[in-house]
Amino acid sequence: MILLEVARKDLTLYARDVRFLATLGLFSASLTLILSMAFGPIYQDAPREAAATMWASLFFAGVLGLTRSLDMEREAGGGDALRMSGADPYAIYLGKTLANFLLLAAVFALLLPLTSVFFDVGSLSGLPRVAGVAAIALLGYSAWGTLFAALARGLQARELLLSVLLFPSLIPLWIGAVKLTHALWGEGGTASVGDWVKVMLVMDVLGLGVAAWLYEPVQEAGE
Amino acid sequence: MTRTVPEGWRKAARFVWIAALVLVALSLVMVVRAPTERVMGPVQKIVYVHVPSAIATMIAFGITFAAGIAFLTTRQWFWDALGAASAEVGLVFATVVMITGPLWARSAWNTWWTWEPRLTTFFILWILYAAYQVIRSSLRGPSKRTISAVLGIVFFVMYPVTVYSVNLWRGSMHPQNVTMQGNMRQVLLTSMLAWVVFYVAVLERRLRLEWARRAAEEERLGVGAPAPRGHVAARGAEARGR
Repeated sequence: MILLEVARKDLTLYARDVRFLATLGLFSASLTLILSMAFGPIYQDAPREAAATMWASLFFAGVLGLTRSLDMEREAGGGDALRMSGADPYAIYLGKTLANFLLLAAVFALLLPLTSVFFDVGSLSGLPRVAGVAAIALLGYSAWGTLFAALARGLQARELLLSVLLFPSLIPLWIGAVKLTHALWGEGGTASVGDWVKVMLVMDVLGLGVAAWLYEPVQEAGE
Repeated sequence: MTRTVPEGWRKAARFVWIAALVLVALSLVMVVRAPTERVMGPVQKIVYVHVPSAIATMIAFGITFAAGIAFLTTRQWFWDALGAASAEVGLVFATVVMITGPLWARSAWNTWWTWEPRLTTFFILWILYAAYQVIRSSLRGPSKRTISAVLGIVFFVMYPVTVYSVNLWRGSMHPQNVTMQGNMRQVLLTSMLAWVVFYVAVLERRLRLEWARRAAEEERLGVGAPAPRGHVAARGAEARGR
């Protein structure tokens, strides 16, 4: 199955580049530390500040991951090979989205305990629901991020432009993730901010849907 | 699509320009003569520029969106030129909105800027379309048109979601609908019409610039004069005209 093969290829490239993975982990951990110091030592609203810190760190680290995935593909020449293979462009896109999603999920797995310790928030019983929020947010981030990263492939200063494209566009996902995580850590439920789940799901579906239509021309433009 | 501006187009453009200038002049006179609002005073008259500019912005970005779809479907040069021209003109109108908004807010809310949903979403929109200009200007070759079309579509598709989500974020202070009556309503409606026609007129000029650029490029490449069928210059012109 092309989707899984592409995801496996990208994940293998990530796994081979240990220095990149270490840098990504250190970068996101440093961001969390700096923001927790900025908010602390006495927190006004620990669940709110913790949620904002974790998601800001994750979104910034995500840009680093997306940019690196482009560089690795160019260095390894895998992108050209994939395009010439005649594989369905949308399957290629989904495979890349899956790989980026798993990379971000790994960063989330690192940041969640760090944030919990620094801000003294969260509990094991609430973990599945926080993970659920993360799954929705990171799926949307990967869906849009993979499309934008493909767009930025041939641009000069693509790291900067990718940030300029991603951050304003993904504001609904970011606010939703912060609101829901804050509610889960603060109130133990999402009843007061439940509408955000719908907004984030719409973003996910839109990202995957728009890419189904636009990824092929974007891929052609990069040739 | 022809290489020069069609004659019918020139005639229509002349008419649109005359209509735009007359309507803008009329609206400005009406704004000066409009009744002064009791609470805010003359500052309230900013609304007669702010709201029509916002409407022109949305029309401009909507046309960029539609032109993006048309380009990806047909691959015709004209749709790319229309989308790019409309995005550029739309950004100018958006900048007018960004300037006049704080001027009004200073008087109405006693602050130049507040993180209010409508302001925030409009600022996001402004950043995105400014990024569109930066990205388009940094691109060379055939990918320029495709990537511009994709960006024009993606930004416009995402905008309603952003507006809706930020409205959930916090209650809006911004008026949801501008409700006016009598003379003030007439002034607002005339201003809206004037700015939209003015947008069409400016868009036409910007499109003509694209036409001139294309003609100059073809002349530089030696494809202005009829080239033998299958000649490299003719193939180049065909490829660009696709």
